[in-house]
Amino acid sequence: MKKILVADDEMSIRLLYSEELKEEGYEVYLAANGREALEVVEKIPLDLVILDIKMPEMDGIEALRRIKERRPDLPVVLSTAYGEYRQDFATWASDEYLVKSSDLEDLKAVVKRHLKE
Amino acid sequence: MASERAGFLTQMVEVFTSTVSFGERLNNMVHLLARYLKVDLALYFGLDKAKETLVLNISSQGPIPPHLRLEFPLGTGLAGEAAATRKYLVVHRDQPGVQEANAALEKLNPAYHTLAAFPVADDNFLYGVLLLMDRSDRAITPVERQNIQLACLMLSSTLRQAIGQEEAKKRIAELSVLFEVGKALSSTVELDELLERIVSTTAKVITAGGAALHIIDGATGELRVSSRYGKIPAECPALPTMPAGAGGAGEPPHFEGQSVDPEGRNHYCLAVPLTFKGQLEGTLGVYDKFSPSGEFAPFDPENRQLLYTMAGVVVNAIENALTYQQVEALAEKNERMVRNLTTLQEISQVLLTTVQQDRLLDIILQGLILEQGLGFERAIVFMVDETTQTLKGAKGARRAAAGESMSFRALLAPPSEPIPMADCELPLRADQGPLALAVLRKQSYHYRQTGQEPGLPASLLRIYSPEEFFVVPLVVKDQATGVIVVDNQDSGRPLESEPLHVLQMFATQAALVLENAHLYSTIEANNRELLLIRERMLESDRLAALSSLASGMAHEIRNPLVSIGGFARRIAKTVEVNSPLRGYVEVIQEEVTRLEKLLREILDFTGENLSYYGDHEMAKLIDDTLILVQRDLDAAKIKVVKEFAQMPRLHCDDRQMKQVFYNLFQNALQAMAQGGTLTIRTYPVEKADGLYEAAAISDTGGGIPLEVLHNIFNPFFSTKDYGTGLGLAIAQRIISRHYGQIEVNNEMGKGVTFIVTLPVAKYCLVKDLGHEAVPASALRAPKGGRR
Repeated sequence: MKKILVADDEMSIRLLYSEELKEEGYEVYLAANGREALEVVEKIPLDLVILDIKMPEMDGIEALRRIKERRPDLPVVLSTAYGEYRQDFATWASDEYLVKSSDLEDLKAVVKRHLKE
Repeated sequence: MASERAGFLTQMVEVFTSTVSFGERLNNMVHLLARYLKVDLALYFGLDKAKETLVLNISSQGPIPPHLRLEFPLGTGLAGEAAATRKYLVVHRDQPGVQEANAALEKLNPAYHTLAAFPVADDNFLYGVLLLMDRSDRAITPVERQNIQLACLMLSSTLRQAIGQEEAKKRIAELSVLFEVGKALSSTVELDELLERIVSTTAKVITAGGAALHIIDGATGELRVSSRYGKIPAECPALPTMPAGAGGAGEPPHFEGQSVDPEGRNHYCLAVPLTFKGQLEGTLGVYDKFSPSGEFAPFDPENRQLLYTMAGVVVNAIENALTYQQVEALAEKNERMVRNLTTLQEISQVLLTTVQQDRLLDIILQGLILEQGLGFERAIVFMVDETTQTLKGAKGARRAAAGESMSFRALLAPPSEPIPMADCELPLRADQGPLALAVLRKQSYHYRQTGQEPGLPASLLRIYSPEEFFVVPLVVKDQATGVIVVDNQDSGRPLESEPLHVLQMFATQAALVLENAHLYSTIEANNRELLLIRERMLESDRLAALSSLASGMAHEIRNPLVSIGGFARRIAKTVEVNSPLRGYVEVIQEEVTRLEKLLREILDFTGENLSYYGDHEMAKLIDDTLILVQRDLDAAKIKVVKEFAQMPRLHCDDRQMKQVFYNLFQNALQAMAQGGTLTIRTYPVEKADGLYEAAAISDTGGGIPLEVLHNIFNPFFSTKDYGTGLGLAIAQRIISRHYGQIEVNNEMGKGVTFIVTLPVAKYCLVKDLGHEAVPASALRAPKGGRR
């Protein structure tokens, strides 16, 4: 079973994502900020990370950098409310950039694509 | 005997002192003598003016018929002898030589025997001879001799009186002539009239049949009749140019001529020279003097004297008239100058009414071509373009056929017959003819086509090819900013040099006002630009504030929305299809979707990116965007009409421009939900600051209500049931960042036309609007401008 980490400071988002992803047959871990996310990455052999950008203590950009330092092979999807950073995601070395939407079909398709490889 | 003598003497004294005419007195005396002496015939021979010949004047037998005219030269005959010796002589026919010497007398008295001659003279002069003839052989007694000599003294005294009176009469006549001439001189200054009067007066005084004034023609050197009076006989020898030394030694020069006409009549002429400042200028001549006998008489020295006097008067008159003419010419010149200055002042007043170059050019042209202005027939103003170093035709005009008089109104009206300039451009080089030279040397030129000077350049000849013109530079602060060119080509009237001075004065004024206008327009343009930048900065600030607010809110809202929508979808999956809950959940989903769309629009609006600039064709941008909405257009049964002009590419962000068109199409779609026609037209627009391209997008959706019209570009204003209302605001924002404009033409009841206008010039776009960097190469030279 593929292991996915969802890091978001909004509890409702964490809940929604984990419900949907579990339904898709993934094992879902949760983190409320970048620091917690890094702890999970340390402990669990994850297959994919979904990162929010704006989070307290450590934001998604910093977390992304550190995750890629430890595990360059681990796909990271930035899922954020900020549409305007789309151009920058390549420089941040994330694998995907998704603007959050209530329709999770896009997210699920991206996850599926990355976990197949 | 004694009483007889006393009676004779008394009668003689009575006659001598009588008041009858001198001729009558002389006649009576001769008769008295004949009667007293009881001789057959008493004759009086008068000495002629030349003092050479004795001419029979009086006979005791009455009037002398012409065939009995008798003359004795001095020294011939008894009478001639007596005159020559001044002694009385008595001879008899039978004395030797007497009959031969006096044969002429036999015509009067063939049977004479005794002849006696007494000189008629006083102490100074010999007047004539008294001749007595008698058939008897008689002597003259001493008493008779005494009485005859007394009678001769009375005769001479009477003759002296007669001559004295005649001379006095002549003097009076001469004086009255001079008086007449003086009157004429003071009564008129018209030279021609004066000369005519002098000529006629001269003829009348001398009793000549004709008189003429000849003046030497300055061009040919020949004598030309300037003024004439009466009849000048054709037979009279023509007056040659006066020989300098004509006349006797010591005499002033004159010319006398004589000729005989076919009828055998003698004609005489007399002429004297007119010298003016030592130079021969002409002659004054008289012809055909009348004499009492009816024949023409030769002119005598007195006539000559009078003629000299008259010639002097003529010279004076001409001198006076010339002086007067000069004074008059000066006065006229003065008056012209005053008039010119007044004209210039009037024009300059009108020139002060505007600071717009175009209007000023009109006024300048009108001032140049109006009849009471500077009065030229054509005028053109050329201005220097410093960027290209050329002289460009700014404006030209010709005087209208129906010449309008100068007035403020006429000056303010644009010229009715402009001369097309058709991009006339001359390089500012010395080999480009007088116009370029006028600028380069800051000098006026009077150009006349002679075929020898270098011709006018072809670019000028295309619009302007006169044979003669003035060109005057417009100089301000020692710099030539243009030229004024004027000519009279239409009528061919030659240009006089005097108006060139006036034109130069005018050009100074014109140059000043044009420079002022130039400075004013520069200031105005700078002000406009500053205002524009300020507005853009304000707008930028406003939008930045709006942007950060909207962005912040959007993020705060997006997360909860995602949760709400996400969970609603999850709920929907579990709710049965025909449960009423299903509907509720769907409402939640739809509302969330709408809100999310709203958020996307806000974030697109605020999150700008400027790095997608390139050169794009407007037509292609429109076509690409149309594809995106084609399906919606088809669905709404909207017909699309395209009219695209061939135009250069625009420097723009294609994605943003497509968004502009997309938003405008969306707008049209919503206005024409029931169908209609979408018309898209593109065309070039020439504006003061360069070339623009425009796209006009028209719908047939009935137009925008007035209360809405003012708000259509406001963010968040929308009349639609859904949508953000940001569409037009975004379009406006993008257009303004491309230095373009968006306008709306609303026709209530018909439809709306949005017109997007974008500059062709490649402005560099930078985020900080306060410090725009514009590449110089991309800037067009301002139209008709210089510097």
